[in-house]
Amino acid sequence: MHVTTTEPVLHEPAVRVAPAGQARLRAEGACLAYDDRVIARDLDIEIPDGRITVIVGANACGKSTLLRGLARLLRPRAGSVVLDGHDIHRLPTKQVARSLGILPQQPVAPGGITVADLVGRGRTPHQGLLRQWSSDDEAAVDAALAATGTAELADRCVDELSGGQRQRVWIALALAQGTSLLLLDEPTTFLDLAHQVDVLDLLAELNQRDGRTVVLVLHDLNLASRYADHLVAMKDGAIVAEGPPAEVISESLVADVFGLHAHICPDPVTGTPLVIPVPAGHRRRP
Amino acid sequence: MWVLRWPRPEVSLRVHGRAVAVTAALLAVGFATFAWSLSVGDFPIPIGDVLAGLAGGGSEDAGFIVRTLRLPRALTGVLVGAAFGLSGAIFQRVARNPLASPDIVGIEAGAAAAAVVTIVVLGGSTAQITIGALAGAVLAAVAIYALAHRRGVTGHRLVLVGIGVTAVLHSVTSYLLTRAEVHDAQRAVVWLTGSLHARGWEHVRPTSVAVAVLVPVAMALGRHLRALELGDDAARGLGTRVEGARAALLLTAVALAAVGTAAAGPVAFVALVAPQVARRLVGHRSLALLPSAATGALLVVAADLAARRLLSPVELPVGIFTAVLGAPYLLHLLVRANRAGTGG
Repeated sequence: MHVTTTEPVLHEPAVRVAPAGQARLRAEGACLAYDDRVIARDLDIEIPDGRITVIVGANACGKSTLLRGLARLLRPRAGSVVLDGHDIHRLPTKQVARSLGILPQQPVAPGGITVADLVGRGRTPHQGLLRQWSSDDEAAVDAALAATGTAELADRCVDELSGGQRQRVWIALALAQGTSLLLLDEPTTFLDLAHQVDVLDLLAELNQRDGRTVVLVLHDLNLASRYADHLVAMKDGAIVAEGPPAEVISESLVADVFGLHAHICPDPVTGTPLVIPVPAGHRRRP
Repeated sequence: MWVLRWPRPEVSLRVHGRAVAVTAALLAVGFATFAWSLSVGDFPIPIGDVLAGLAGGGSEDAGFIVRTLRLPRALTGVLVGAAFGLSGAIFQRVARNPLASPDIVGIEAGAAAAAVVTIVVLGGSTAQITIGALAGAVLAAVAIYALAHRRGVTGHRLVLVGIGVTAVLHSVTSYLLTRAEVHDAQRAVVWLTGSLHARGWEHVRPTSVAVAVLVPVAMALGRHLRALELGDDAARGLGTRVEGARAALLLTAVALAAVGTAAAGPVAFVALVAPQVARRLVGHRSLALLPSAATGALLVVAADLAARRLLSPVELPVGIFTAVLGAPYLLHLLVRANRAGTGG
């Protein structure tokens, strides 16, 4: 029996150089559908490498569907999703899982499972029949627990944790997977405001420290504007606008995408666009 | 959890300490029960003579009774129990629902219906009944999977469809029994209850080969359960081929249930109860596959011993005993599921 200790490594040397001018992850004319229900047609999107991309839109606009398509959870009816220059559905499943991690919306942990056990399962794509728990696995889990501030929860039962702690643990699982692309579907839903900010700060830190590409689906426009380098607005299954938040967010776009009458001003803290809904009684007559 | 590592070639294995300890303890208790069951009967043999008989020595009479009459029966019990326990563990973990075990969702009912067809309609031999039961289990499994499949299979739908299929199969069995000759009907009813009566080496040999092949397959596939338990999307995101892994696991579990049923009939509730008992013994961190198999084996051997001796000289089929023990547990699960509103 041989036990080695290594420095914690957070991300595997998974950085492959994409052809110049092309993002590692992109959709080309993707048509996304569940059974016969087409959600989005002819989607083209490039996910900027090393940046935080946030997808926003009203309920049922197809933003989660787009994320599922990008994460290989949904096979496009037509067109393709390309990872590192290859059709993502032609790459071996395990290879994709070593480059791209996905945290689904509202994941459910098996009953009675401990934090360390759950986070450890993030190492699945690096394991095999005879490679069940390598020292790399151990180091990656320790690093993921440390990075998300959940190390002291390691032996606790996931059922006992608060919503905010639980979300951190799931992010730790995605981190332990050691992917340079991280996709998260509404990671702040059902969290109170303090914990929403907490989770987003954590993701921003992971992005800045390791240069990880992060893609998020978010509900809150103001938080999206603060944290996004690249904002994607969707409506009825189509991308209406994309770019830096300051260029994308406008009163007409908010009215178009969310059907919301709003006033936009610079966020006094960050300078990013701040969307202030205008109540019916205060609307100016045209 | 212990980790065994070799640097070159790079190999690392997870060993769950408590699961190993629990399995060892279950095997020890199981072996004691096994030896005891070889010792008692109409012709009691002291334990010392039993052990001598097992080793091939001892007196001629005792050796004959131990090796030819009692040993194959007890071994069949061990194999059948292990097969049911492991099958139930896989089913319950894949479906994430304790009610989704082969005795509830119709796999054993399929084997039983096919066996009754073989007995009543075809007048088949013991070997033909075995083959019929195997085919019935597989056909029932295919039907249940096809009916429950809608963009993947959820545990809840598997249980509901399985209960429906079980009801249909039971009505087929009942209809055939009402039409059968008395002798055939009696044979069928004993088989349907689940019995180890008159099991010989001709039962042990095929069953042991099947179990010896299926257990390592189940253990190798078992590691996919750790990802599958997180839900389909998360498992897929972790690089698991969800549909393929689940189908392979269920197929292995169906084969185990079919082999067990073919050898001893649908011994009630073993597949349902054994994994739950094992899980409580080892805690949640282990997959508890081997402990479930060991629990199943102990359960069947102990139940058969009780069924043989409790109302001596009347011998009851082992299935009656496991049903008496298992039915209250099923009620407990149903009541709890109802209260929690989770379906298990």
